[in-house]
Amino acid sequence: MQHRHLLPNELDLLVDDEAGFGMAPLRAHVESCAECADQLAAAQRVAGGLDRLTRFAPSPGFANRVMAQVQVIEPWHVALTETAKGLVPRNRTLRVVMATTAALLATGISGAAVWLSLRTDVALYLGSSIAERARVVVGDGATSLARTLLGEGASTLLGSGPGVLIAGTVGLLLSGAATAVALRSLATASRRTRE
Amino acid sequence: MAPRPDLTNVPDADVVALAQRGREDAFREIVRRYERPVFSLIYRMVRDSATSEDLAQDTFIKVLNHIDKYRPEFKLSSWLFKIANNVAIDHLRRKQLDTISVSGSPNAATESEIEATSFEIADGAESALDAMEARELGGSIEKAIAKLRPEYRACIMLRHVEDRSYEEIAATLDLPLGTVKTYIHRARIELRGYLEHLRE
Ligand SMILES: [Zn+2]
Repeated sequence: MQHRHLLPNELDLLVDDEAGFGMAPLRAHVESCAECADQLAAAQRVAGGLDRLTRFAPSPGFANRVMAQVQVIEPWHVALTETAKGLVPRNRTLRVVMATTAALLATGISGAAVWLSLRTDVALYLGSSIAERARVVVGDGATSLARTLLGEGASTLLGSGPGVLIAGTVGLLLSGAATAVALRSLATASRRTRE
Repeated sequence: MAPRPDLTNVPDADVVALAQRGREDAFREIVRRYERPVFSLIYRMVRDSATSEDLAQDTFIKVLNHIDKYRPEFKLSSWLFKIANNVAIDHLRRKQLDTISVSGSPNAATESEIEATSFEIADGAESALDAMEARELGGSIEKAIAKLRPEYRACIMLRHVEDRSYEEIAATLDLPLGTVKTYIHRARIELRGYLEHLRE
């Protein structure tokens, strides 16, 4: 055992009932020293009294008074998800039809994109000479017209070759078709759900 | 719409997630869970029930109106206690209301009611004498706590009433760990002094 009285922080460790290396000698000292045992008992009495303190309750209606001043906001992404959930048909077959349509659309668009990128290379290679001649004849007029109508950006786009023109046109057509198909399937699905 | 499930047994973090999605019942559940701990912490710091209720209300309004800012790595209760402590300290600084009150329960009226409500007799008190002694100690402790510095009170309440570790108290009150240990140590010594004085 140790031959000096416990320091205040050592008494705290015993009051808090800390575990670990170094605690055993402290406990051994308390067991053999009446003075430290008294100190510890007094400290434990205070800690025990504190541990038994209870919580108080606010007056009834506290929650309502709080809620009267709290804004419950549904974030836009949650609202959007909820709306989307509402659009999904309850019927299992319809859900499968919708999912398949979506999958087909996605595959179609991806396929078209791949085809388009390959096609553009071919078009660029074959059409370079025609394009060159066309640019000479039409290009200057079109570029200046575009510059007048749409500004510098449009003329740069026009000047960058027929690939961009083809890609833009096909892209526009494809996205238009995709939107039409999607709208149609949505309308059909919701009509069927209502029936 | 499907009926909303009972949130009583849902963990704090999930209740907060529901509140962040705009569920009013989740907001109410947070208030239901923490109205007593928050009100008690504030009451023991400001010693006035009407003021404590206003400050507890402010605490919940601040937390619930900023529920989207909640960081999950922090305990919800720690966040509430942090705001409650700040609100109480601000009030004490503003009003310099750091005076001693002798009341036990905020709603108790008579001296005997104060004694009865300010302390719950420990389970397993061996005799009527033990019970009476325990109750007297409880009443005296409430009076003694009122004499402590507010910083000490918050630490002592979180440690003994809310059963928080020293590390959690440090994080909640934005204090270094060593400071928390010192405050609790000094508070206990002071309380011992007050209680011995009362016994004489
Ligand atoms: Zn000793």
